[in-house]
Amino acid sequence: MEFLALFSTIIFLHAVLVLLYNLIDKWRHRNCYLLDYVCLKPSDERKLPTNLCGEIVSRNSCLGLNEYKFLLKVIISSGLGESTYGPRNIIEGREASPTLSDSISEMDEYLFPLVDSIFLRVNQSFHLSPSSIDILVVNVSMFSPAPSLAARVINRYGFREDILVYNLSGMGCSASLISVDLIRNIFKSHKKKIALLLSSESISPNWYNGNKRSMMLGNCLFRSGGCAALLTNDPFLGGRHGKLQLRRLVRTHLGRSNEAHTCACQKEDDEGRHGFHLSRELPAAAAQAFFENLRVLAPKILPLTEIARYLLASVWKKKTTSMSTVNMKSGVEHFCLHTGGKAVIEGIGRSLGLDEKALEPARMTLHRFGNTSASSVWYVLSYMEAKKRLRKGQRILMMTFGSGFKCNSCLWVVMRDLDDCGVWEDCIKGYPPKTLVNPFFDKYGWINDPNAEVLVQKFKDGMARGEKRESLTDLI
Amino acid sequence: MSPAFNHYKLAGIILPSIAATAIVAFFLLPFPTPKQTLIILSTIVSACAAAAFLLSRPQPVYLIDYACLRPLRTCRVPFATFMEHARLCDFFDEKSVQFQMRILERSGLGEETCLPPPNHYLPPLRSLEGGRAEAELVVFSAVDELFAKTGMEGKDVDAVVVNCSLFAPTPSMADMVVNKYKMRGDVRAYNLSGMGCSAGIIALDLARQLLQVHSKSNALIISTEILSPNYYAGKTRPMLLPNCLFRMGASASLLSNHPASRRLSKYRLLHVIRTHRGSDDRSFHCVNQQEDSFGQVGISLSKDLMAVAADSLRSNITAIGPLVLPATEQLRFLLALIARRALSSSWPPYIPDFRKAFDHFCIHAGGRAVIDELQRSLRLKPGDVEASRMTLHRFGNTSSSSLWYELAYVEAKRRMRKGDRVWMIGFGSGFKCNSAVWRCVRTVDGPPNGPWDDCVDRYPVEVPEVVTFS
Repeated sequence: MEFLALFSTIIFLHAVLVLLYNLIDKWRHRNCYLLDYVCLKPSDERKLPTNLCGEIVSRNSCLGLNEYKFLLKVIISSGLGESTYGPRNIIEGREASPTLSDSISEMDEYLFPLVDSIFLRVNQSFHLSPSSIDILVVNVSMFSPAPSLAARVINRYGFREDILVYNLSGMGCSASLISVDLIRNIFKSHKKKIALLLSSESISPNWYNGNKRSMMLGNCLFRSGGCAALLTNDPFLGGRHGKLQLRRLVRTHLGRSNEAHTCACQKEDDEGRHGFHLSRELPAAAAQAFFENLRVLAPKILPLTEIARYLLASVWKKKTTSMSTVNMKSGVEHFCLHTGGKAVIEGIGRSLGLDEKALEPARMTLHRFGNTSASSVWYVLSYMEAKKRLRKGQRILMMTFGSGFKCNSCLWVVMRDLDDCGVWEDCIKGYPPKTLVNPFFDKYGWINDPNAEVLVQKFKDGMARGEKRESLTDLI
Repeated sequence: MSPAFNHYKLAGIILPSIAATAIVAFFLLPFPTPKQTLIILSTIVSACAAAAFLLSRPQPVYLIDYACLRPLRTCRVPFATFMEHARLCDFFDEKSVQFQMRILERSGLGEETCLPPPNHYLPPLRSLEGGRAEAELVVFSAVDELFAKTGMEGKDVDAVVVNCSLFAPTPSMADMVVNKYKMRGDVRAYNLSGMGCSAGIIALDLARQLLQVHSKSNALIISTEILSPNYYAGKTRPMLLPNCLFRMGASASLLSNHPASRRLSKYRLLHVIRTHRGSDDRSFHCVNQQEDSFGQVGISLSKDLMAVAADSLRSNITAIGPLVLPATEQLRFLLALIARRALSSSWPPYIPDFRKAFDHFCIHAGGRAVIDELQRSLRLKPGDVEASRMTLHRFGNTSSSSLWYELAYVEAKRRMRKGDRVWMIGFGSGFKCNSAVWRCVRTVDGPPNGPWDDCVDRYPVEVPEVVTFS
């Protein structure tokens, strides 16, 4: 009996330990930590100020006065500043005939400096070599060569043979969070893994050289950019060196609606020219996807008091037939919004009831870097960090939209006070600027001149004769 | 190897029986002494620990069913059609035409392989819209057939993974599938691109990762290659090979981890092993998309392809060997490895006999040379590679979906029995070698219901080394 009692005690203790170990182990490894991230800042000769944009536009011989008017109006009121970046072949005047090697060298110029700098940065605080990377996810929506861009990165940096690599393509401006979701899922079934996420966009093979308005918008908004992020589920590494911890991630796909599916897509116009079409239904599709996403996300991140208040207010306001808005600021301190364009930022701001301060990071990113597609939210995050606004315990909501139509959002929690200026180092002091109005606003006012058509024809004739002119504005 | 029984059932049996026993004991038996309490507690907690351990094991993933595209007769490209088409295209010179003819003669392809409609034009149409139309044709046919076989609808799907290497429009093909089948708003869609002919197994791996995390879910995997936007209209020889070998094909498969799906499913996924040799320059450049000197884009296949494939296979079997080989083979492999390292590197490497581990082999039908090389490397008999050779003959190189056509061949020949193990091996640009191991959980009986329906009785055929035609 004594022996049985002793045996039972041992079994009991062992079983308790096994249970506790299982539970604690699962709990420790289920978290996804952001160790560090870098955003791309291309070199200065790749800047695309407004007058250079005007030159590029005027090189397109199939544009008439109405198209010039439209384009100039868009460029001036886009919210983009004078320091956004473009790919080399467009600045060098070869936008009409992009080659495969142009596209590949453009991606090499984005991805390789990103990987170099992320390793340089993390090696200052802890040692990490390319062979420590277990998972690699690359997302570039509009260019997908064979071998993949992920394989190019593996070839250059010598990652291990058993690396889990995924190359996502065609997933639009929200691909960054889709990649984070993929990594998070892998983390849940593996222990102590380190993942490298590379997010960028290819512009040179996708420049539109025609005159269809819905397809010219892409030329005005998309700019070069990219980011590299290191994530891990190693509790030791993440706990000591992590910047942010991922709490929630919600994906919404509105593909079942035909209008939403085709509102942002790659197309050929009637003359067979490639471009990215943005339709009039885009704001409505975005709004619908946004609300569907919010419906799932809000209950997960808002405090109970706010949920209760919202429910009561909705019941009350139903009687007065007006919409009540949920106060996201009760659950989130910072908003990292995709810089899809001025209208997108303002639309989200209105829907969430956000003030200028909350929208400032997104607006400033749009001004400084333009719409860098999937990597834009990381630039916005970097702005907040550079402004030293991210304090331990604060929550950040990242929200992205993309073709398909998708709306993805996630909630990060700041693990320690962050103050790295990153890609904003040389210009953060100048932000926010006194005015965001385009400096060429007055200069291009001529487009409304009644004699504008004559001027445009004179310019075109001059170009045909081989006269050298800087741009349309020389005619004034 | 994981136990054959479903450990959820076991946990589901243990916990309620503990609870029942505890309740009965509490009410019926006299209050126990401290010693008895200890015994009872230890039994209960050990049982709970065992249950927790079982629950934390990886969830089993089952293949409910799969479907392959049945190409239309109107898309058929017999040799005569292919050669006439090549002669009539003015961007090919006489030497290119002769080269393509020689490749076709030795390719192992038959007279019934298919090319998509835009490729039948003179010159072949290469456009974004043509590519989209081709994608809709091949993908929707395969998915429609899969949904008809399984009784599923779009709204039942929890995840979609599409892999297509050379065509990735925005919105992606995964989004196109979500749109067509009106899938739910919380569906997880992923679109892999640029990952070569082994991307089907990468998609399988991705789906498996998702199913480890989300219980009672299913995933739809679509593997295809879209050919029309990638037709090579130039004269460089290494870049003409894909025109000759790649053919139209697509597959759709449904994976699930729902405990109830075990009875309905055909196979259980045991392992997925991925090997990436991209860090080696020779491997990285052997399948390369590039422009020729006239600016025409195509895929160039280097002469090193076979050697690179053999190297990557060796890496893959080193990883997969310990998981699947019986102990004797592993021991012999290990001893040979030690002998090579310790004694002399000229000691011949021991190639394990994988026929002891697997009953069926599905080797990517990349070309006759690839199948020959693998047969030699793995010491396989002609019967083991019959599925691959016949798929190459009937359907050509359909890229990542070829493995599924081969599996369908084995089933159509009524060779698949419950308990049989299948090894799928894919190779692709990068250079990658990926393997998937399946076990059949239900003998596949009944009339054939796949792409081989109308022709399996004519197979196997003897494929001559060189087919001569004028």
